[in-house]
Formats: sequence, C-alpha cells, structure tokens
Amino acid sequence: MVWMPAMLTALCTKGVIIRATQLFFLSILRCLQVVACCLLSVISCVEAQTPTNVLIVGQIAEPKSMDPHAATALNDFRILMNIYDGLVRYKPGTLDIEPALAKAWTISEDGTHYSFILRQGIKFHDGTEFTANAIKFNFERMLDKSHPYHKTGPFPLAFFFSAVEKVIVKSRYSVEFVLKEPFAPFLSNLAYPTGLIVSPAAVKKYGKAFGRHPAGTGAFKFAEWQSHRKVVVTRNDDYWDGLAALDAVIFRPITDANTRVAEMLSGGIDLMVEVPPDNLAMFKKAKDLTVYEQTGPHVWFLILNMMHGPFADKRMRQAVNYAINKQALVNSVLQGTAVIAAGPTPPVFTWAYNKTLQPYPYDPGKARKLIKAAGYKGEKLTFYVTEGGSGMLEPIAMGTAIQADLAKVGLKVTIESYEWNTFLGKVNPGLGEQADMAEMAWMINDPDTLPYLALRTAAWPEKGGFNSGYYSNPEVDALLKEARKTTDQEQRGQLYRKMQAIVHEDAPWAFIAHWQQNAVAHHTIKDFQLQPSFFLLLKDVQKLP
Amino acid sequence: MMLTYIIHRLIAIIPVLLGLSLIVFLVMAMIPGDPATAILGNFATPENVARLNQQLGLDKSLAEQYVIWLNNVIQGDWGRSFTLNRPVLDEVLERFQATLILAGAAWLLCSVFGLLAGIIAAIRQFSWVDKIITFVVLVGISMPAFWLGLLLIMLFAVQWQWFPASGMYAIYGGGDIGDLLKHLLLPALTLSIVAMGVVARLTRSAMLEVLRLDYIRTARAKGLTERRVIFLHAFKSSLVNVIPVMAIQAGFVLGGAVYIETVFQWPGIGRMLVNAIATRDILLVQGGVLMVACTYVLFNLGADVAQHALDPRLSSRNRI
Amino acid sequence: MYSNAVWRKGLRKPNQPAVRPSGWQLFNHNRLARLGMWIFVCCTVLACLAPILPIPDPNATALVHRLAKPWLIQWFFGDMVQNPPVFEGWLGTDHLGRDLLSRVLWGTQISLLVGGSATLVAALIGSLLGLVAGFWGGRIDNLLMRGIDMLMAFPYILLALAIVAVLGAGLMNALFAIAIVNIPFFARNVRGVTLGVVRQPFVEAAQLVGKNRWQTLCTDVLPNVMPTIVITMATTLGWMILETAGLSFLGLGAQPPQADLGSMLGEGRKLLFTAPHVSIIPGLIIFILVMSINLIGDGIRDVLDPRLKSGVMGRPAAATNIRCNREADEFARPEVQGLIVNQLQTEFQLGHATYQAVNNVSLTLEAGECLGLVGESGSGKSVLALSIARLVPSPPGCIVHGQVWQDTQDLLSIPLAQLQHIRGNKVAYVFQDPATALHPMLTVGSQLVEAIRAHRPISYRQAWQQAVNWLERVQIPNPGQRVHSYPYQLSGGMRQRVVIAMALINQPKVLIADEPTTALDVTVQAQILKLLKQLQQDTKAALLFITHDFGVVTTLCERIAVMYAGQIVEMGYTTDVLNHPAHPYTHQLIKCIPKLGGEGALATIDGLPPAMNALPPGCHFAPRCPWAETRCKESTMTLKAISNSHWVRCCKPL
Repeated sequence: MVWMPAMLTALCTKGVIIRATQLFFLSILRCLQVVACCLLSVISCVEAQTPTNVLIVGQIAEPKSMDPHAATALNDFRILMNIYDGLVRYKPGTLDIEPALAKAWTISEDGTHYSFILRQGIKFHDGTEFTANAIKFNFERMLDKSHPYHKTGPFPLAFFFSAVEKVIVKSRYSVEFVLKEPFAPFLSNLAYPTGLIVSPAAVKKYGKAFGRHPAGTGAFKFAEWQSHRKVVVTRNDDYWDGLAALDAVIFRPITDANTRVAEMLSGGIDLMVEVPPDNLAMFKKAKDLTVYEQTGPHVWFLILNMMHGPFADKRMRQAVNYAINKQALVNSVLQGTAVIAAGPTPPVFTWAYNKTLQPYPYDPGKARKLIKAAGYKGEKLTFYVTEGGSGMLEPIAMGTAIQADLAKVGLKVTIESYEWNTFLGKVNPGLGEQADMAEMAWMINDPDTLPYLALRTAAWPEKGGFNSGYYSNPEVDALLKEARKTTDQEQRGQLYRKMQAIVHEDAPWAFIAHWQQNAVAHHTIKDFQLQPSFFLLLKDVQKLP
Repeated sequence: MMLTYIIHRLIAIIPVLLGLSLIVFLVMAMIPGDPATAILGNFATPENVARLNQQLGLDKSLAEQYVIWLNNVIQGDWGRSFTLNRPVLDEVLERFQATLILAGAAWLLCSVFGLLAGIIAAIRQFSWVDKIITFVVLVGISMPAFWLGLLLIMLFAVQWQWFPASGMYAIYGGGDIGDLLKHLLLPALTLSIVAMGVVARLTRSAMLEVLRLDYIRTARAKGLTERRVIFLHAFKSSLVNVIPVMAIQAGFVLGGAVYIETVFQWPGIGRMLVNAIATRDILLVQGGVLMVACTYVLFNLGADVAQHALDPRLSSRNRI
Repeated sequence: MYSNAVWRKGLRKPNQPAVRPSGWQLFNHNRLARLGMWIFVCCTVLACLAPILPIPDPNATALVHRLAKPWLIQWFFGDMVQNPPVFEGWLGTDHLGRDLLSRVLWGTQISLLVGGSATLVAALIGSLLGLVAGFWGGRIDNLLMRGIDMLMAFPYILLALAIVAVLGAGLMNALFAIAIVNIPFFARNVRGVTLGVVRQPFVEAAQLVGKNRWQTLCTDVLPNVMPTIVITMATTLGWMILETAGLSFLGLGAQPPQADLGSMLGEGRKLLFTAPHVSIIPGLIIFILVMSINLIGDGIRDVLDPRLKSGVMGRPAAATNIRCNREADEFARPEVQGLIVNQLQTEFQLGHATYQAVNNVSLTLEAGECLGLVGESGSGKSVLALSIARLVPSPPGCIVHGQVWQDTQDLLSIPLAQLQHIRGNKVAYVFQDPATALHPMLTVGSQLVEAIRAHRPISYRQAWQQAVNWLERVQIPNPGQRVHSYPYQLSGGMRQRVVIAMALINQPKVLIADEPTTALDVTVQAQILKLLKQLQQDTKAALLFITHDFGVVTTLCERIAVMYAGQIVEMGYTTDVLNHPAHPYTHQLIKCIPKLGGEGALATIDGLPPAMNALPPGCHFAPRCPWAETRCKESTMTLKAISNSHWVRCCKPL
C-alpha cells in the first residue's frame, strides 16, 4: 500500500500541479469575492461597532431563568453570580468561604444554629433595602409550601437547604438559621447560586415572571434580555464592594460549539467558555487570544455495577482502572482540558483532598492478570454512554476510546448511547441487570456532596440516592456520616481523606478525570480569572480599547 | 363560493390538529425520562423528582393532564414551559417569528429561483444553460444541507468574514433590516437549496409538458411573441402543477429549518422543539408542533386557493 | 437480458421500423444516468468489499496518530523538507486515530443498507396504504388520508426525532423513523395514481369478469401502479440516505464505534476548524453517493414515465428548424396573394430513424380560393399544414427543403420576429380539436384580444369590443357574456367557433383549417362548415382545408389535392378528381366513401400505409396497388399533368 504514494510523487512534478491548481482556485476565489462584494455593498449598513468597555461573552446556551432559586444550570449561574450576592461567597481563586452580604457569622456548638450579622446600607437594584426580612423571605419562598410566593417556583434545587428548619429574624440586620440536624456543607451551599439573595419587592411585583425581571444586589444590574440573542447587564453604580470596571456585559447564547468558535475567530464575542478540546490548541497559537485554564470541582468516572455481572469482583473493577489509558484520554481526546483523577474527590478541595493517593497507572498487563484471576469468561459487558450533558466532556469519544482500551485487555464491551435525559432515566434508577458500566460526571460545591449522594449504602437508588453501581462499605458510610456533623474543617478533611483511600482501593468506579475548565479571551481583556467554582466573576475584568 | 370552501377546509383542520395534539401527548408520554429529571440533572433523586413533579403539576394522570391542557388552550392559555419558566405562547410566538423569517426567505428564494431556473432550463432545453442548471440543481439536492451550511460558515464567516457566522441580529446596534438580511443570507440560502432544486426540476418538467400541448401551438399560430407564449400561456398552466409542490416545499423548509437553525444558531422554532423534546417539555412541544402544523395546513390551503384562482376548471369541479 | 438483446438489435439495424426505444436503450441514451450508475456501482462494490480489502480495522483506535491529514493533502501542501509527509492512511485519521478510508468504506456500507431498507419499508407500507385508500375509497380512504395528513403536518425531522426518542437511538430505530416519516409521501403518490387507474374501464371489466377486489387489486391495479412506485423509490433513495445522515448527524443513528457516513460527519463537525478533513470527506462521499443515486433515479424515471416513453423528449421550439441548402434553391420571387408551397420536405428524426412526413410537396393557393387536402391519417397532410408557418414541433421535426411563399416572403427563410408577424396576421390556423386548442385558464375574450393586439396597436378596450363583434360574427349567442367565459364552459361547437373567430380576427390572407370538424358531432359539423365557407368568402382569404372526408371537400373546395405517404399523388379541380380519379389510390379512396343506400360491404384498401421511415422505392403506393407493375416499384414517380389543371403521380394513370 505505502509504495503507491511514493510512486505518484515520482511521476508528477509537484510544483507544476500546485501552481496550476493555485491559479485555478485563485481565479475562482476572485470571482466569488467580486460577486460577494457587490452583494455586500447592496445590503451593507454602517458596521455597528461594539462600544468600548462592553464585554461580550459567548455563553453555551440560552439562560433558562434569572431567578437564582429556579436556575439549575451552570450556564445560568455564570450570569447570576454577577447580578446577585449571597450571604457568603467563595474567596476568588479558591473554594474557601468568605463573607459577602453577611459581615460575620457564628455556628452553635452542635452545628444546628447559624447566626449571620448582615452588612448595612445595601440596596437591591430596584431600590429597596437589603435587610434580614429579605433573607427570611428568600428562604421561606423556596422551602415553605404555604408561603404566598412559593408558587412563583418551581425551585428544583431547594433541597440544598432541606436541612433548614426555620429562619429567624433577630433584628433588622441579623438573622439566624435553625437546622434540623448538623449539616456541615451548609455554608458551602449558601455560597452556591441557589443561596443568592433576590429582592422580595421584585418577586412580589413580577410573580412568576421574576425570572425575566431579576433584581439582586450584585455588581451588575440586569438591563435587558432578548430571547436567544442576548442578556445585557450594566454596572451597578451603588455596589457595596467596589465598582465594576466594565460599563456593561452582554451574554450571548451560542449553543453550537463550532459556531461559538467561529464567532470567537470572527470577533463576534470577546470571551468564550467551554472551548471544545480540539480547538484549544488553535486558540493557544492565535496571537490575539489568551487561553485561561482552571481545574475545578468536577469528577468524570465510570460507574461499575457491583450487584450483577463480572464487576461484583473487586479484581475486575481494579482491572478496568488499570486498563484505561487515562493519560492518553486526557491528552488526546480531551486535549489537555482535564487532569487524571485518582479518587472520588477533586484536588481543588485542598483541605479535603488526599494527596498521597496515586491514580491507577496504565498497566494492561496487570489488568489482564487480574481479569484472568477473576475468572472472566468473555461475558458481554454493556456500557451506557451519553451523547452530551452537563460536565460530560466528549462522552461519545471518551466512551469509544475506553471501549477500545478495554478491548485490548480482552473485555467485550458493547456501547449503548442515549441522549442525556434518557441516559439519566436509565442510570439513576440503578444499573440493575441491564448494564455493567456507565459514564457519569458531577460538578459539586462541597466534598460531601458526591460521596454522600453516590457512594453510601443508604444512597442506593431504591433508597433515593445515586449509588447506581450499588457500592456498599460500612466504613465509608460511617466516615461520611461523621463528616457531616463535624463543623471543624480540618477534622472534616481528615475524614474525607480516609474515605478516599478506601474508595480508591475498592474501586467502585473507574476514576478517569477532573475537568480543567477553560476560557478564551481577546488579549484586550485584562484581569480576567477563571474560578475553581466554574462561576464567571466579571466585576474586576477590564476591556482595553 | 371560494369563501365557503375556505371555511370548510378550515373546519376540517380542527380534527387534524386535535389528533395531532393527542399523538404528541402520547408520544411524549412514551419517551423515557421526564421533565423533572431533565431539570434536576444529576440531582434527580426520586424524592426530588416527585417534589418537582408536584410543583409542575405533572403528578396527575396523563388523561387528566391532556384534558386540562385542552381546556386551557381553548381559553387561550397554552401553559407554561417547565424548563424555560415562561409562558409557552410567548416563547413559541417569538421563536416562530424567527423561523418564519428564515423559512419564508428560503421559500421565497426557492420559489423565485426555482421557478426561474426551471423555466430557463425548459425553454433552453438541451442547451448548455439547461445543462448547467440541471447540474447545479442536482448538486443542490444531493448535498446534505447541514454540511453545506458548515462549509459556507467556514468560508464566508471565518475565512473571509463577509457574513456573520451565526445569530439573527448583530449583538450590538444593528437590528435594522440590513442587519437582518446580512444574517439571513447564508442560512436562507442553505435552507433553500434543496427545495430550490425540487422546484426547478418540477417546473422544468411541467413546462416541457405544457409546451407540447395544443394550445401552445395555437398561441404560436396566433403570432404571439415567444416571451408571451412562455411566460403567460405555458407558465400559467405549469404553475398549477407546481403550486402544490411549492406548498410541500414550504413544509419541507419548515422541517429542514431544524438543521439549519442548529448550524447557524438561528433562534427558531425547530431548534426549540428539538430542545423541548430533549428536555421532555411537553407543553412546549405541543405548542410548537401545533404552531408548525397550523402553518403547514394553512400553506396547503393557500396553495389550493391559489390553484383554484389560477385554474377555473378546478372550482367548477368542486361545485359539482 | 431481454432488453439487452433488443438494444443490440436496435444497434445493428438503426432504420428498423420497430421504433420505440427500449427501456435500456433510453436509460443508456442518458449519459448522466450511465455515469451515475457507474459511480454507484463503484461505491457499492467498494463498500461491499470493505471486509476483504487490505484496510485497517475501522474501529482500531490509535490516539497518538489522531487527526492525521489525508496523505495526498500532506503531500500537496506540505513542505517536503521540514515536514515530510507521514503516511497515516490515504484519507488520514479521525479524532480517535481511526483510519478514515476504512471507516468511510464501512460507513458507506451502512448508509446504503439503512437508506435502502428504509426506502423498501416506506415503499411497502406507503404503497399498500395508498393502494387500499385509492382502491377502496370512501370512508377507508378518508380515514387513511386524514391520518396521512396528520403525519405530514408534523415537521418530518421532528417526527423522526420523536420516534427515535421513543424507540431509543440505534440504526434500526433510525431506519424505522425514516421509513415512517416517508410513508405519507409514498401513500399520497400511490393513491393518486391508483385513483386514476381505478377509473379506467379495464378495472371495471375485471370486476365484471368476477374477480374479487383483492384479485383485481393485484392483477389489474398493481401492475399499473408499479411504475410509479418504482419511480418514487428511485427518486427517494438518495433523499433517504440524506435523511439517515441527518439523523445520525444529530447523534441518533449508528451506535459507536460503528458509524455511518452521517455520524462520521457529526463527529467530525466538532473538528471543523482544526481538522476539516474529518467532516469534509464523509460529507463528500454522501454527496457523491446521493448524486449518483439521483442520476440513476432520473434515468429510471425517464424510462418508466409513459409520457417520456413516446420517444419525444424534446420540447417544441418557437419555430420548426430549417435545414435547407439555401444556394441550390434560388427561386423566382413570385408575387402571390395566396400561398405557394414549393418542394417542401419535412422530416422527423426519432432516435436513429428518419421519418419523411412531407416529401417534396408543391402546391399553389390563390387568394379567395379553397383547396382541399385529402388523405388517410398519417399521410402527412397535417405536417404539411403545420410546416407552412413552421409550427411542426421541433425537435424532432425539421424542414429540410423547400420554400413557402406568401406575399413576396419565403416563410422558411425569414427571422422568427417576422414570422411571428405573419402568423395569425397573414396566415392563420384552425385546429382539429377545439377542446385542446384553447388555453383552459384564460377567458375566451382575453385570448381573442391577445390575438388582435399581437398584430395591431389598439387599446385593450377596443380589442375587447372587436372580440365581442367577432363572437357575434361566428354566431355565438349572447357574445357580450360569452366573451367572459372560460373554454371549459362552452360546448365543442362553440369552442370551434371561437377558434375560427380567433383565426379570422385579423383578416388573414391564408387560412389553414386542419380537420376543423373531425372532433365535432355531425349536426355541428355542418354548421361550422357553413360558417367557415361564409366567412372565407367574406374575408376573401385563401383556404387550405385539410380533411379525410370527401363529402366535406365537395361542398367546400374548388380544388383538391390527395396526399399519400407524404406526397401529393393527385391534384385538380374537385369535380375532375372526384369524377375521374387518375391515381389508383384516389380511385380506391373514393370507392371507400360509404354511399347512402349503397349495397354490399364497404370497400377497403388492402394493406397498410407504409412506415414513413421505410418507404418502398418507386411508387409508394405500389405494394397496395392492384394495377402495380414492376416498373412501378423501380423508377421514382413524378407529378405529371394529365390536363392543364389535373396532375397525377403515377406512371399509368387510370
């Protein structure tokens, strides 16, 4: 086969052919250009220039709601974090909690009473004052079915605060949350967008339509929302924490990744997030573009079915972990937009991450040995793959590559691919006898979330959790329960580190990757920083003329 | 006469729409997954799903839901989209407008150029013009439209930056008709190309057929100029055969808009429906499908009316 | 096999009287269809051979070699010195390092299979529904068609999406979805044709013979609907493949790692800017494949479509083509009020065969005179008439020799614009069938007005008034109202009156009436003839009256010309010819006229008129002539005068 091209080379004089072809195409191009110029001059109008100091952000989808309590998607959160503030927030560049609307707080000894002292003199964008009553209104609207404004929902993520029993207004600027039981991730959850504070007056005014007429206390004020075209926010000149540098930000929904790239290249947007891996290299080479990268609280893994089939055997599960060439996946399929995962907890939770843990190395030989020892007889393994979904990072390509890796060690894997909702409908109720493995990814805001929801015995699907692979280890259960009650971060971290070591060894999942989020901006955009929380904070961003 | 006919036809639409809405409801019920799961994503525990379903009013039986929906629609309330937190009617109308602009432009392009190309190919049959048109048409109907769209973006939007790559209006300023046209050109062209081919082929064959008829000979025998013979006598007759196909093309263009809207990020109803199906947003699907179906039916009706207006023989047959 | 044999026979004897081109001949005649078939065969064979060709495993990933460019492009655009081309497969590799050539071949196989099966399924179910609806009619038809309407009102791609969503992604399900979406299309087409077939008498006959409905459906209806089904299938296959690709493009088709062309395109789309070849190559293959299928489909349609089968595939030009040898035909320019036709020769070119429809005809028509042109059907009299104003459909018709003089002008040598000025103005026609001669969608008035205003610059209103006047002149009652009617609202006789009015409205010098009464019933015939005669006398036009009816000629014409096999065989005053026919053919023809009260069987002429593309040498009538001798079959006959006003083309006139 290979000799034929060589012969062709010898036969043809390369230069002549190239020259002729070039001339041919050039003349065609010329014609096209003339025609198009004529066309353009007919319909041309004054090219509308984006005014200086207005940032245009390429979003991945049309926002669903500007009501932080109703919103569920990261895409919405990226806007919301700039319009609203919460009681607390993540310190920029970290996942540590720092004060925001609350100046300070105290936690009772048993971990069930949280008291917040509020900042004074803050006004919502609609002009009403921010007080403790607003806090009470916000949380009761979400949690209390009998609240007069509960029907302005639904509030899908209200369960983040299901531990809250009641909210007590102590004074005009102080408020206390009473929890049903100790719940250590509470502060983290308050920093999450579901904990952002909305203006009660605006909710009362707009009712169900509040999601399209948002009012918060954030650095930017909502200006307009033209469906499928743009959401515009302008600088809040009364902001309590220093004014934003930009006059305005325009969020532009461009669902299609390719089109987003095209717009970035043709200058239609200044900043885009979630660059498709394969375009990243191109952007990195481009002179006038800057690429930003930041690892975040995200895990990409394979759920292995421990109830039925070959993966009930620990050796088989470990074999899968050894057999997958994670480095190749991360480097080639994901083009460096992720880092290899060692266990269930992302390293960005520095205080809870077990640094001693090493990822399973790529070792097909060892995998084969383990498989042989486990007595695998070539049973067909069904692998659920999704076509897309939040945080799922090229799931089809990943699944296909993993399948190929597993085939190399003798595992017969059949892929069944489903669109995201169907996929969730198949995976969340448990893999049962239908499937042996499934892709899954989580984005979390606290090291507690994922293991608590997906690794405990009490989180098996029929008990209302996401432990779709039926992992059960009493030791892990106990550790997680204990960690929830512990308010001291150092102690909590200790417990999580222990948990990670056990889970790593048991291998209920194949740990693949943590997403390294990226963004691309024009070089005129300064002081931009990606957050580990994956949120987009634009207050300090500048746009040079 | 014509009016009663139109009214009859309009009444006949109602059962079709009813049946359609029922089918949509059933199909949506058969699709695994539900809106609550779609909204909650990773957090869709049975408990959370049940709570959200209750908030969304989805805990009722399917029949109940359908009756409630029907009742509301009759009163002009199309319900609220689960995923968008927005009245269905607002969303549907907004998106439909965009699709109408795109599909309308595409339809116009395909009609004008399709008819023109067909006529020219017919009257210059076997000439090189005919051959070129036939070839271009063949290329058009053989090309995957989405692929063509991608190529156009690559060339005209990214390489040469003559036209915007996506969207309907410039993001800042713009908004006038010139801006719209600029954004419209590539997607409308892409969308129309297949339909254009179909119309051109049909026009060509219809024209060829008519040109062989006796009354064309009569027209020539009268000493009419060739232009009059072709554009008045022959074209008028062939149009009667072409019109129903043009109506079908309108439906086709509406359907094909799904791809083009995806590729060009056109905020139209096709993309909305694809998303709505994916997120199991049943009311939004209902609203969108009804809207599209209505348009389709109305287009067919329009075609029938136009056909009757052109060919008096048809209405006489109806009268009998 | 059979068609192949016919084709060969056809090749060997191009001038055979068996004239209809065979299906294969027609298909093969279409060069594009042939090209399409070759491409399609190549693609299919390559795709089928994918398992045994020496190509890499389509699913073997090699992440290190991902997104390698096609070898040729590397070689072409690459810099030989710094980046010597690396051979990573002919078409390069995709995002997982899989060989694209191999994947394309396997993908083509899948695409073809799915597209083909979907077409079959849709055709089967759709045709069945269409047949049943069209054949049974009534309530079943109504019910089925409402259902089809519903399906059609649903945007097709969304229907497919919903179906796939219900059934789950996968090739089989995509196949079903596409099939279901296309059922309405087949059902509608087939139903339409079935309705037409069911109305045909033979279906009723079949029922009368005692076949039950299913038998009738299968033996009488189905065979007649079959061509439509095949055409629809051939023209839809390409479209189906495109739709499969579309669904796969949206990620609903083939399950990874398997891929059809559409899903390859969908996967490659993400890499459009970094590695365009991954999406462009599958797109190109789809394009080529679908194009070849469409070409074949067109070819098949051309073969099966009964309208195209007649062999006449061209459309008539504005005027008949002329292929005369000008310099040889220098002819004195006569000053004629009427019409002189000199050595006119008109041919039809069908395939390899040449039909001499009019062969060296000369005749003169004085102003105010009426000449009857008589002959059997197919004797070339209509072609002669049409040749005069160059109205013979061309292609296939062509005037190869002669002149037609009218008022110092040779109609065959003037440019089209001048010819158009003469048509309808100096030379007008009345055609055989008034039902088809008038434009069905224009009012009578507007058609008349058009005729006037084409030649005279008068206002619309004036022209309209003239139209009304002329309707009155042709004795249409209530002309002021009738002028607004459409042709279909008039009876046959009325329509012919309109046609006559339209012909005479510009007071032409020459009126050519081509069997103007054949399509009418007898009582109306007489009225029309009377009217025609009267108007001709009023306007002093020369009338060329074409008929096969001697009775009509006697009452109308002073002179008569008898045509046989494209030639005038006898010409003279009506009384002379009728009473003393000199040509055997005329003689026999007159004998064939049924006489009132005549006894015995009706006389006939033995044998059939000769095929115009294989005329016998010598006298064309000789094979049927009871007086024929050997010399009749040897020497060419010329028109000889037997008296100063009576000519005959016979070597031994009776």
